[in-house]
Amino acid sequence: MTKRPVDRPWLALLLAAALALCAQAAQAQRMTIDIFGPGQAKVNIIQTQPLPLQEGQPLPAVSAQLRERIDRNLGYLPFLRKVMATDVIGGDRVNGPTAAGIDFKRFQLSRVDLVLTAGWREGNPSGLADVELRAYEVFTGSLLLGKAYYELTPKHVPEVADRFCAELMRLLTGSGDFFNSQIAFVRKEGKSKNIWAARPTGEDLRQLTRLSGIAMSPSWSFDGTTLAFTYVGERNHSLGILRLGDDKPKLVNLNGSSVISPTFLPDGQLAVTMDAGGQPDIFLLNGSYKVVRPLVENWAIDVSPSFDAKADKMAFVSSRLGNPHIFLQNMRTGEVNRVTMEGRYNTEPSLSPDGRLLAFAREMADGEHRIFFHDLATGIERQVTFGPGSDEDPSWAPDGYFLVYASNRTGQYKLYLTTRHGDSSIPLETGSGEAKSPAWAKLPLSSGS
Amino acid sequence: MKTALRFLLYGTLCLALGLTACAKKTVTDTSADMSKAKVSDDDAARQRQLEEERRRQAELEEQQRRAAAMAAVKQEVANMIFFDFDKYDLKPEAREVLQKKAQILKDNSVLKIIIAGNCDERGTEEYNLALGERRARAAYEYLVLLGIEAGRMSIVSYGEERPLDPGHGEAAWSKNRRDEFTIVQ
Repeated sequence: MTKRPVDRPWLALLLAAALALCAQAAQAQRMTIDIFGPGQAKVNIIQTQPLPLQEGQPLPAVSAQLRERIDRNLGYLPFLRKVMATDVIGGDRVNGPTAAGIDFKRFQLSRVDLVLTAGWREGNPSGLADVELRAYEVFTGSLLLGKAYYELTPKHVPEVADRFCAELMRLLTGSGDFFNSQIAFVRKEGKSKNIWAARPTGEDLRQLTRLSGIAMSPSWSFDGTTLAFTYVGERNHSLGILRLGDDKPKLVNLNGSSVISPTFLPDGQLAVTMDAGGQPDIFLLNGSYKVVRPLVENWAIDVSPSFDAKADKMAFVSSRLGNPHIFLQNMRTGEVNRVTMEGRYNTEPSLSPDGRLLAFAREMADGEHRIFFHDLATGIERQVTFGPGSDEDPSWAPDGYFLVYASNRTGQYKLYLTTRHGDSSIPLETGSGEAKSPAWAKLPLSSGS
Repeated sequence: MKTALRFLLYGTLCLALGLTACAKKTVTDTSADMSKAKVSDDDAARQRQLEEERRRQAELEEQQRRAAAMAAVKQEVANMIFFDFDKYDLKPEAREVLQKKAQILKDNSVLKIIIAGNCDERGTEEYNLALGERRARAAYEYLVLLGIEAGRMSIVSYGEERPLDPGHGEAAWSKNRRDEFTIVQ
């Protein structure tokens, strides 16, 4: 895996500056948005034109790039509504990047809730640009968030935009993992399929495996440091394991001929379907990939385990009643209950980290698949995607708010983002070729902010 | 003198004729012997050649016979069986194919095979990978029932990854829901 191209010296300075700016923000009344509740409020936001920190100084070229990048990032957050400059009396210019330079009343008149400012300084001793980014609540005129980033070059722009937006999202919703996470997926090239990864914003797209055969079903460890996947060889399947920093994956042969849907538990153990007993059952493997115990043993097909963040529950697919349906196993008592009662073909369960919402793919009457949510607290089911084409492979983000899935609505399978509220889908940049089987995880601590 | 000359001439003539006659007789006899020897040599070589050719021909025919027999064996072994959507139970025609395959495997006890289970594109990938395993195992278990040693067979599932027909209708799907059988050396 490649090291992300962000220089570190400015990060140390960033912390000190952020603390100083946030100290002011802490005084202010916090604006929050409940994105996990039954409804979803929208906040009107505007990003003002960048300004020099000292009047009369020139603006560095990178200022426009960062503004554009932050604007793009805000577009991923369905709970924000971007206000156009033309909708504000006097437009999107302010006199200064701090509260003293902002006429909050004219933003209030335009029903703007949040104002973002950027103050730039060019020509520091290193010759590079520094920036101070701030978010103000319009109603109170108080500073919600302030961050400073030093010695920026154009290559730092995506990283700075992601970090600032992660902080803003965390402040507003309690979780900013969207901008601090990675999505692994399977990309098809010729006859081979390999594992790739990218940030949800499409940044940092990279190939993780270079195998000649077929790699399938990637699953991240909960700490984001290790990937497990199925490798389909000519004569049998292997368990693929790739640790961050390793050039090549390790291919582990398990008992039997099949290795299907390996999935990490929060403690680093793996649940995987094997046919060692003569039928596809789900087994628990330890860190040495030895069988600890069977989790599901049944005459039928049992595949695709998915766990909540505490591994209290395991959702899985079983054909024990004839057709594939989703079942839920209590990991403490072993009790198993059927979840899906509608449809004839329900597969690919993904349990939200809080264990509340079960996402899965249902085959419809026309033979296409659609993503559904099943609320495990109420039993209410809701269709979330509507095609065209087939929508498959749902996978929750670690924040439990976003969801990624694959769809062939454009003729070729690609990845799309939506939310637990079923917001409009946004395509994920995965490069050329078919992209399927997404798996979402936080970035490892060492590479995150 | 004249008489003496005539006599000498006559004598010389007779000698010459005699010599000529002798010489002719000698040449004729030698030529006949050599020809006979050569024919004799040629016949032996020809016979050896013919025998060699016959041996080669027989070998070739044997090779062809074996190749044809092996091709027939491979063909019989390679005959695929097909399944209904989301099913892995063996249909009557699939059982017939497997029964013939079992006889071939019994007649050729050195053969080992891989049974590969495959699915059409309609299901989802992980479930299809398990369904392919079920399909391969269904054939494996039936062949074991028919007396084929389990150690001569292995199974693998390719799920929906290796369609025989890349089309998107039932005509293609029905070809793709299959078990393939390959002889391993």
